[in-house]
Amino acid sequence: MNRKYELVYVVSPDATDAQIADLHTQVEQIAQRLSGVIEKTDNWGRRKLAYEIGPHKEATYVLETINGGGELMKEIDRRLKVSDLVIRHLIVRIDEEQSVVDRTRTKRTEASRRRRVARGLPPDRQPGEGQRGDIDDDRDDRFELPEGLER
Amino acid sequence: MNGKRSFGGGGRSKAGTQGGQQGKDGQRRPMFRRRKVCKFCADKIDDINYKDTKLLMPFVPERAKILPRRISGTCAMHQRKLRTAIMRARQLALIPYTAE
Repeated sequence: MNRKYELVYVVSPDATDAQIADLHTQVEQIAQRLSGVIEKTDNWGRRKLAYEIGPHKEATYVLETINGGGELMKEIDRRLKVSDLVIRHLIVRIDEEQSVVDRTRTKRTEASRRRRVARGLPPDRQPGEGQRGDIDDDRDDRFELPEGLER
Repeated sequence: MNGKRSFGGGGRSKAGTQGGQQGKDGQRRPMFRRRKVCKFCADKIDDINYKDTKLLMPFVPERAKILPRRISGTCAMHQRKLRTAIMRARQLALIPYTAE
């Protein structure tokens, strides 16, 4: 059972860095116990909340990408629900969606390559070609999270 | 039924004359309305991610309600994905539920 999940937890602004690190190790331990692996951890730092949650107006966000089974995520969910420091959390399964995205992306590039070859052009877009020649169509700079998340 | 239909037609023609422009020889022309395109299809954005508030914010105007498809022009598939993304972002307080 190897699935990929994304876990975001919103930690109360009163929490110290040590407490946040402690939460991370807790999650890691649960993952280890239930044969899961944490692939990536990303601390977004302090952000303003879009609405007040109880007394809090800002909070620290932590994103983790976890490889593991459903039982593991159930346990993490349970633990985070109990935790006082975590004011919100969200677990999303991402592997299925990611594969769909990859498929559509490869399908599109292949289709465009085929069309270009049929028109007697080289399969890839040449620099300086077309109306928007300088802009590279395939660039994807939407995911520079630290800046991307600022509003 | 007939009355209903004529009523609807009347409403439409009224809107047409309001938006219509006067041509050179005084003829009324229907107002030119640009065809709406789905932003995600046009820009080839495949995954609509709840973490990407920059992408989602234009679809939740002042009142923080989700912009309907008839206004934004988003296609059905992408509107569906957009909706889930916005709802997830709201849970994490990345996007407001309402404006105060």
